[in-house]
Amino acid sequence: MSFVPIRFEIGRPAAPWSLIGVLALLMLGLGRPAVAIEADKQTKACLRCHAMETIAYRDPVSREIVDLSIAPRLLPHSVHGELACTECHRKSYRRYPHPEEAERESFSCVGCHEDDSAEATYQLKTVESEYRQSVHVAPGAKHADRFNCHSCHDPHVFKVSRVGTDIAQVVRDGNQVCLSCHEKARDPQLGSHAWLPKRDAHWESVRCVDCHTPASAEPSRVSHQILTAEDSNRDCVACHSRDARLLNRLYQYRSEEDLARRGLFAKAIFNEAYIVGMSRSPLVDWISLLIIGLTLLVLTAHGLGRYLAYRRRRNR
Amino acid sequence: MKALYLYPGWLRIWHWVNALLFILLMVSGASMHYAGTPWLLAFETAVPIHNAAGILLTLGWIAFVIGNVRTDNGRYYRLRWRGLAGRLIEQSLYYARGIFRDAPHPFHVTAEAKFNTLQQLSYLGVMYGLMPLLILSGWSFLFSVYLPETLFGIGAVWVVAMTHLATSYALVLFVLVHLYIITTGETVLTNPLAMITGWHRERHTPSRDA
Repeated sequence: MSFVPIRFEIGRPAAPWSLIGVLALLMLGLGRPAVAIEADKQTKACLRCHAMETIAYRDPVSREIVDLSIAPRLLPHSVHGELACTECHRKSYRRYPHPEEAERESFSCVGCHEDDSAEATYQLKTVESEYRQSVHVAPGAKHADRFNCHSCHDPHVFKVSRVGTDIAQVVRDGNQVCLSCHEKARDPQLGSHAWLPKRDAHWESVRCVDCHTPASAEPSRVSHQILTAEDSNRDCVACHSRDARLLNRLYQYRSEEDLARRGLFAKAIFNEAYIVGMSRSPLVDWISLLIIGLTLLVLTAHGLGRYLAYRRRRNR
Repeated sequence: MKALYLYPGWLRIWHWVNALLFILLMVSGASMHYAGTPWLLAFETAVPIHNAAGILLTLGWIAFVIGNVRTDNGRYYRLRWRGLAGRLIEQSLYYARGIFRDAPHPFHVTAEAKFNTLQQLSYLGVMYGLMPLLILSGWSFLFSVYLPETLFGIGAVWVVAMTHLATSYALVLFVLVHLYIITTGETVLTNPLAMITGWHRERHTPSRDA
């Protein structure tokens, strides 16, 4: 497993040479000018530098390149898009060069959202307790110390999937988060998913987390407890059956309009049609098994009758 | 004692290969359909078995059709329409009543006709009705990407799935009835032995029964 430097590690102390590096990049003109976005003055000021794709510095300790760029087009659409930068970041960042004494900032999603409506909707406390058991931060996990919410949820980009969002898009966006680090999973030679029938079809229509998390008590929520490969779901029927968790999880995004347009019947059929459990038709199953059972009964009775008739004949 | 060579080598080989494939397909098919049931095969195991056996079954069916066109075995499947209903009723009555009373078989196997009308109709239905449906729906599963999105306004794959499922159940029913009904020859083993040796042997001659 390798890590792409997370985008939001602004808390690292800015070493003088890193600032020189940034300036050098600026002078070389590698960055693009800040894109005008509809944001407040302060955000605009920050984005004058941070909108550049190449803005980065080399961490003096880990020697890794730390990306400081923010996608200016995505930011206003993100869930935090309306906030001024300093609502989360230290006010001292308003000054440039940024003060060297700026300590590592720690961002706590739960801390911010404790008392607002987000907690009620997303149950961030539950998320946190699930996350604590996640394979990414479990004792002994590689890079556990550097893993945090933002490793997966880029706060400048991520937005909540709303009802009506195209499922394929939801899947693509969700999986991109995992695959940005786990790029090897995509390697057809590696075979970690070779057992999975119709692997590519699965990857296009199912999120990684649908199998790599335990089924949560509330079917509409995805647990944040990412499981190890061994513990992940390999049971086809967990998804491919009626009332499967996959349907509950993934299809919550389907809009009510969509349901009304296609009709309940066609939607139900469609859901059953493209997954393995598709041949499960309780009606056909029960009728057929009943007929087969009755036939067996008749045949047994017939055979018994023949045997009794044969015995009677012999006795005579 | 009468002995008729009714089942040539190719037909017997086809029959027993078909029987073996049926067993494989029923077990693997049930394992896929009822995936997760503990005493069935694992889904991953069942899929390749089912696919492979299905492809072989298709080849076997083609061979059967060719065999019936090329040899005179096909004549046994030609229906004699005259008196069909009467023979059907007679045969059914025999199974329902006569068989318990030691009544004579209403049908006598000859070199010209080895199937009674009931057999003829069920074999015709199975080989030229259910089997093509089963095979077509099976292949449609394998190449479902080439199917249109919908058939008759319903999702195409679902139509295929239900056809395959219903046909499969009907064929399971056929196998059960077939297994039982073959024991209703002159003796329990008359018919099964004929499919092994090729020779249909009867102690009683038709003249005596008639």
